[in-house]
Parts: sequence; C-alpha cells; structure tokens
Amino acid sequence: MKPAEVTKEDSRREIILGCGTLAIAAGYYLLAIRIPQSDISDVIGAQGLPKTYAGLLAFLSIMLIGRAMLARRTAVVSNAPAIAIGSSASRSVGWRTFGMLVNGVLYVALVTSLGYIVSIAGLIASTIYFQGGELNRRSLAVAAGGALLLWLLFVRLLHIPHPAGIWPSFF
Amino acid sequence: MAVVFLNVIPAAFGGVAWGILGGALPGISPSITMALLLPFTYSMAPTTAVVMLACTYIGAEYGGSIPAILIRTPGTNAAAATVVDGYMMKMQGKAGEALGISLYSGFVGGLFGMLVLVGLTERLSSVALAFTPPAYFALGVLGLSVIATLAGDSLVTGLIAGVLGLMISTVGTDPVTGLNRFTFDSPELLSGIPPLLVMVGLYAVGDLFVKTGEPDWAKATSEDARIKFPSLALWKRMARPQIIGSLLGAFEGMMPGGGGAVSSFLAYNEARRWSRHKEEFGHGSPEGIAAPEAANNTVACTALVPMLSLGIPSSNSSAVLLGGFLMHGLIPGPLLFVSHADVVHGLYVGMFAGNIAMLIIGYLIMSPCMWLVNRPKPYLMAFIYALVVSGVYAIQNSIFHVGLTLGFGVLGSAMKYFKLPVLPMVLGVVLGFVVESNYRRALVISSGDYRTFVQDPIAAGLLIVAFLFITGALLRRLREARDVRPAADASV
Repeated sequence: MKPAEVTKEDSRREIILGCGTLAIAAGYYLLAIRIPQSDISDVIGAQGLPKTYAGLLAFLSIMLIGRAMLARRTAVVSNAPAIAIGSSASRSVGWRTFGMLVNGVLYVALVTSLGYIVSIAGLIASTIYFQGGELNRRSLAVAAGGALLLWLLFVRLLHIPHPAGIWPSFF
Repeated sequence: MAVVFLNVIPAAFGGVAWGILGGALPGISPSITMALLLPFTYSMAPTTAVVMLACTYIGAEYGGSIPAILIRTPGTNAAAATVVDGYMMKMQGKAGEALGISLYSGFVGGLFGMLVLVGLTERLSSVALAFTPPAYFALGVLGLSVIATLAGDSLVTGLIAGVLGLMISTVGTDPVTGLNRFTFDSPELLSGIPPLLVMVGLYAVGDLFVKTGEPDWAKATSEDARIKFPSLALWKRMARPQIIGSLLGAFEGMMPGGGGAVSSFLAYNEARRWSRHKEEFGHGSPEGIAAPEAANNTVACTALVPMLSLGIPSSNSSAVLLGGFLMHGLIPGPLLFVSHADVVHGLYVGMFAGNIAMLIIGYLIMSPCMWLVNRPKPYLMAFIYALVVSGVYAIQNSIFHVGLTLGFGVLGSAMKYFKLPVLPMVLGVVLGFVVESNYRRALVISSGDYRTFVQDPIAAGLLIVAFLFITGALLRRLREARDVRPAADASV
C-alpha cells in the first residue's frame, strides 16, 4: 500500500482550520463566562461544561496547528490534477457555491414580502443556473412548474401556511 | 392492529419508494435521502414517521444499485462494490437479471437483518429500569467514544467536530438552573437548536452547495428498465454469497463506522474467496452482486440495534433516524422499550413490511427511477433545494429555522473543504444534552460526590466499555501509523 503523503495544501488547510477553531473556542469562552450565576446552581453550574468545551477545543486546535506545522516541513507539492486554488475553474466553483448560498439568503429575506410561489420559483431558477444549467425558456418553465407543484403540495394538500406575500393586498 | 395497517404499512411503502428514488440518484446518499424526508415526518404520528424514515433507509440501499448497474455510477457508497460485476452484466445484455439479483438479494439480507434486530435490541434494552442518571451519563460517554472510530483519517479533526457538536448542544435553556445560554436574546433559540435542522443543514444543504462543482452523471437507456428475477438455478447459486453478505452485514451494521460500504466490499471479497466460480468475479458474476447487496440491506436493519437499544447511532443514516425519533419526543435507549414499546413494535412491523415493499416497489418503480436518473442534474438539485427550504419551514412555520438550516449548510460545506467528518458533530449535538443533564443530575443527587459514576455498576461497566473502545481505536491508529512508516521509508 502506498503511504498517504501530506501535501503543502493539506498542511495549509489544517493551519487555517486550527486558527479558525481556536478563534471559535476563544469567542465561545468569552460568551460562556458571561452566563449569569444562579442561586440554585449545582456544583458544575451553567458555565461549567461550556468552559470545559472551550478549553478542549482550544487544546485540540493548538494540537492541530502544531501537527500541521511539523508536517509542513516534510510535506510535498501535490501532483494530483486537482483544481488549483485561484484558477478560473476553482473561481467558477467557488462563485457557484456562493451563489447557492446567496439564493437561500435571498429566499429567507424576500419570501414574506414576495410570497412563497414567486420566491420558490426564483430559488429554483437561480439554483438551476448555479448548478451549471442555462437560464432559458425551458428552465424558467421548470421553475414555474416546480413552484406550482410545491405550492399545491405544501399549501393546498398539507395545509402549511407558507407566506402569501404582498399579493393578497392587491385583490 | 387496524392502526398498524392504516398508517404503518402505507408509510413503509412510501418510505421505500422515496428511498429507492433518492438512492438511485448518484451522490444522494441514504442519509441525505432521509434528511430530506425528515421535515415532512414532523406532522405524522411518531410510529408512522419513524417507520417511513427506516424504510427510506432500506429503499435507498437497494436504489443505490440501480445506477451502479446501469450507468456504472453507484447511487450510494454501499453500491460501489456492485458496480464491478453489475455493470459487466449490463454490458453483456443482462441488466434486467443483474437488477433482479440485486433486488432479491437485498430482500434476503433485509429479512435476515430484521431477525437480528428484533432478537438483539430487546435483550440489550432489558436493563432499562435499572438506569440511573450516572448510567445515562455513562451511556452518553459511550456514544461519544464512538468518535474515536468514526473520526476518519485524523483523530484530532474528528474530536474537533465532536466538541463543536457538544458546543451547539449547549445553546438554549440550561437543563438544571433554567438560565439562558448562547441565545442572544432570541426567543427561537430558547429551546435549543433542534438536531433535525443541524442534520438537514449538514447533510442535505451542505451537499447541495458542494455539488455545484461536480459534472452531470451518465444517462441510462429505457430498454434497461425491465427487472428479471433470477431462475431457480441462479437462486441456488446465490445462497452462499447471500449468507456471507448477510452475516457480514449483520456484524458490520452494529459496529460504529462499519456501515454499508465497508460491509459490501468485505462481502464481495469473502464471496469471491468462497466461490466455485472465482474466475467470473469482475467479469459479470451474479455472486458479485448478491453478496454486497445482501450485506448493505442487512446493515440497513442491524445499524438500528445500537441506535434503538442504547441511543447510539453507528452511521450517518442511523443518526438521521435518531433525529426523527428525537423530533417526536422519543429518546432511543433503554427506556424507549418501556415507555414507547408500541412505537418500537410498530417499527418492527413497518420494517418487515418495508422489506416486502422493496420487492414490490423495486419492481414497479424502475421506469420512474430511470426517468429521474435521466433528468439534468441542475434541475434535480434545484428541486431538492426548494424541497429542503419548504420542508424546513413546514416544521414550525419558521423562517428563522430556514435561515439556521442554511447556516448549517454553509458549515457542512466548510467541513467538507477542511475534511472535518460530519458524524462526530452530529453525535455531539445529539448526545450533548444527555451527557450534560445526566452528569449534573448525578452530581446533584450524590451531593457532588464523583464516586457515584463508579459506584453504579451499569455506569461503571459502560465507562469501562467506552475506555476500551477509545483505547482500541487509538491502538489501531498507532499500528496503522507504524505500518505506514516503514512503507514510506521503503518508497524513498
């Protein structure tokens, strides 16, 4: 069996991860010590385990950073035909992934005013685009049909009161 | 009895159908298929909901073999072993026969798995009434000790994911003092973050975000859509690999991190070792389909043994099923068999029906499956995204929950990028409350005496098992590291 090689990219990734989780541990600890004490508190208290978890995460993060920095010395440059960070292919994937997130955020922000059918149709159409499809008449028809189908399923059949939006006020 | 037939049986059939469709889509794993269904089961009766989820798991394990055989792309990880001989049979014009072998072997494996599930869970949970807060704490620790096995390539990253999960579980009202923790004055966070949202976010939404960079899969032809059941001679020939697959699946299903993928590859190898037609393996051997398919469908049943009896999920799919239980206020573990025996027995009936349903629906659903597999990937992903946001909203009519799920989706895709395993985090979220509340209750009862955890025989026993578990996993990692080092030196 060929031994797994640690690449420079792996080490860099682990260092970034370790720094991120160390920051989370610090932030979580600062929030934990702000939890008020209670007169009816037990020996551990409401702060007890959160502070322990923060300490544990900080310890593990430092271990990860230390391990990654040691491994970096012997790490090799990856020969795998992976998408290089910063390349146009990588940017395209990152842009699409970001687009998927923005889709969801826009849906959450607009569904109460635009209503369920319009918002979900927009979500479907833009997701088709960000998943690599083309925005043409066919995909728009699929988005409209899908929205109608989901509205029938949730609102009419399952009686889930999805937001109607501003539209009822016009009638 | 009438309730069983009115609710459970249709739920079993519905779950299997959904599972087969989900499993047939390359890249949509059984756990994602189940996570997509979770929000829809919220308004159902508890028994109906858990039956539907469990049967989705059963259906998805079979569904994964459909694209494995037809387009050489496994629908699930567990179906990867089926690709080898399944696709070769398809190339020889025997696609229908290969699908029939897969379906029939899955059915045999599922029935065997049911026998193991029913036989073992009741026995394991018979100590229910003797459980005290220290024992529950120890049970939670035992569950968390599984992280040592499930951590993947790196124990440190697995532990980081587990601790992050434990942190998420502390959001909400403190279990002993009633104080608010990490709620940021948001009323929606007072009752904590529902594990359901974490799972749907991490598994389903996170996966959707990551899949933007993946190309579309190959398409199947419509003439492949006819299943042929095996002849009598073939039935006899498949008995041995099916037994091998079922036995390995039963064992692996109960082991943390075992799962369908490991068991199906083990079963494939063992079936080849014990076969009279070794030379056919890799060239379209029916036994090469029968063994892995029997194994992964056995796993779909036996993975529920530790989950039901001890509340410890051993795989992603059983973690999602655990989420389904928690959503309905059912806490898997020893007391489930005392307080909700009806749900457990309903689940047994439902899963038995699910295995039969797989045989019927698996045959009938081929055409819709083919239609679905042949849709362009962007359209399917868009519809799944819409289904997720609509379904999550439907749970409590909460836009906040949709936003929270998206947040966990971002976390899920970031975890994939940083190679952080998801299951340890889910374990932390699910078991965090059990561990903290029982740890502190035990200390309140014992007036702060820590010896309570070793004086209670069940707690002491479970803690010893957890210790052995962690030690075993660490030793295995050390051994693997030692084995790799000489190989690395030799390669220089």
